[in-house]
Parts: sequence; structure tokens; C-alpha cells
Amino acid sequence: MRLFYLILAFGIFGAGIAYAQVSNDFGMESKLMAMEQIEKVQAPRTKDFKALDAMLDEAFACVDPEGNLLNKAEVLAHLQTDSSIEFVPNSLAVRIQGNTAIVTGLYWKKVMQHGRPFVRRSRFVDTWLYKGGRWVAIASLSTPSEVH
Amino acid sequence: MGGDCEPVNSKRGTLNNHSGFSPPSPFHSGKWLVRTCLYAVLFLWVSPAALAQQADQSGTAATIRALEHEWAEGQSRVDARALDLIFDNALVYLEYGSLVSKGEYLARIKRQNPQLDLITYEGTTVRIFGGTALVIGTYAEKRTRTGKTEAQRWRFIDTWAYKNGSWVLIAAGAAPITR
Repeated sequence: MRLFYLILAFGIFGAGIAYAQVSNDFGMESKLMAMEQIEKVQAPRTKDFKALDAMLDEAFACVDPEGNLLNKAEVLAHLQTDSSIEFVPNSLAVRIQGNTAIVTGLYWKKVMQHGRPFVRRSRFVDTWLYKGGRWVAIASLSTPSEVH
Repeated sequence: MGGDCEPVNSKRGTLNNHSGFSPPSPFHSGKWLVRTCLYAVLFLWVSPAALAQQADQSGTAATIRALEHEWAEGQSRVDARALDLIFDNALVYLEYGSLVSKGEYLARIKRQNPQLDLITYEGTTVRIFGGTALVIGTYAEKRTRTGKTEAQRWRFIDTWAYKNGSWVLIAAGAAPITR
């Protein structure tokens, strides 16, 4: 009987840990999705470079859909002159592996080209790192989703 | 620092003596010896750690480069078993604008004729963030399809993670260089 209670106690304890892990991962996923929204939609729209600066690691590397490699300063400078009028992320998926998270998704970016609105569809892979008690983006790669 | 080397009969020393507020010279009190010893201990303690970390970083970078090479080799040999060990089960791979899983990628490798594709790496950089590493670089690809050869340069970012004692690829993607 004592053994039964011991096994039961261990079972409850284990389930508690597993539940805490799952809910923690779920919380992290929600947080990362919210950060992606801020990074890709809100901050560029409102030109909130302070928020972006805090979210991007100093060693942040970005590959844009034209295959250009940009560092953090270049990304921030580019966003200051960005003429896109709409930026819509879609199909976001988060995979957390220890202190690293991979976020994938699609986005539509409406830009003005030769005075006419033009929609560009891209797919992205972002790498986030849990560093110093917070998530920071260390890499981002976007590629045109029409390429075959 | 310069003050410590001033002679005792210097103007500053004289003034201090006159005011009755003269701290003992570190050279005379022997404190300099303690300080020097402390610095020496600190240096001897920190520098091997720094060197070890540097060596560890370059060792990790070499491991990651070797794995990237293994990946290219495995792909050209159509060795799905070798690739299976390099790729994490949750791998996300972004190629030609589509997101593919590990299973889909390995299935594609098995189907393709490696002799029709030629990939030449042009340069890579490895960045290490503890148990996460990024490989950033470019490669040139020549693909032959239905008798036609297409050439394209790509810029890529690969993300590796240290899991269960080995490095595995957890994400990879490439964008065509258009300019």
C-alpha cells in the first residue's frame, strides 16, 4: 500500500513537471509570436526603433529576399527608409529547442514600385535565442515564396 | 599610475606631508607587492579560461564546418543515413521558397540525380552563441533540368543546436541573390 502511494506521488509529481513544461513552452511560443508581430508589423509601422533595437541581438544577421546580407545597424537603417505600406505575417509556427527557437512563416508585403502598389510574398525562418533572461533575434532569412 | 612613480620629495609629497594627510606610498608599504600578486593571480586565472573559451569556440566552429561539409558530401552521395544523423528530427528547411520537413528533404535527396546538380561553396562564417551556432554564407548552384542548365547564386543561414552531446541542424534556408 505504501508503495502504491509512493508511485502515485511520483506520478503526480512527474505529471506536474510535464504540465509545467508544456505550459511554459506554450507561454514561450505565445511570447515569441507576439514578438514577431512587434518586429515585423508594429515596430516598422510606428518606426519604433527602440523596441527593435532591444529585440535584435548585436550580432543579428539578416538575409533579405534579394539575397542581401544585412547586419543590425543596416536593418534599422533600412527600416527608416522603408516604403512598404502593409506588412502581413501569416502561418506562424514556433519550435523551441532548449534556449533556441525557430519561427517560420509567410508574409505579404505591399510596396510601391514605379508608383503602383505591388505585393511581394515571402517565406521566412527566424532564429531566436534566450539570452540574459529574454528572447533576442539572432538571424532572419526571407526568400520569395514563388521561386521554384 | 604616474603618481606611484613620483619621488618622495616631489611637490605633491611635500604638500601632503605638510598637511599631515600623507597616505603611505604603496612602494614603501608593500601593498604594491600584494596588488601585483593579486593582478598576477587574476591574470593567471582569467587568461587560461579565456584561452580555453577561445579554443573551445574555434573547436566548435571547426566541428560545425566539418558537419556542413558532411552534409554536402552526404547529399552528393545520396547518403540519406548520413544526413539523418546530421539533421534534427524537427528540422525546418526553406528551399526554393517552400518549407520542407526532414522527411520530405531526405525523400527529395533520394529522388534526385546528384550528377545533375553542382554546388560550389563560396565562403562561410560560423557564429557561436553557446549551444547554438549559425553558419552564414553563399554558394553557387548549377542545375540541369530537361537538358537546360540553370545557374543561381544563393545566400544561406543554417542554424545548428547542441543536443544530447552532438550538433544537429535545426533550421536552414537560402535566398536567391538577385543583385
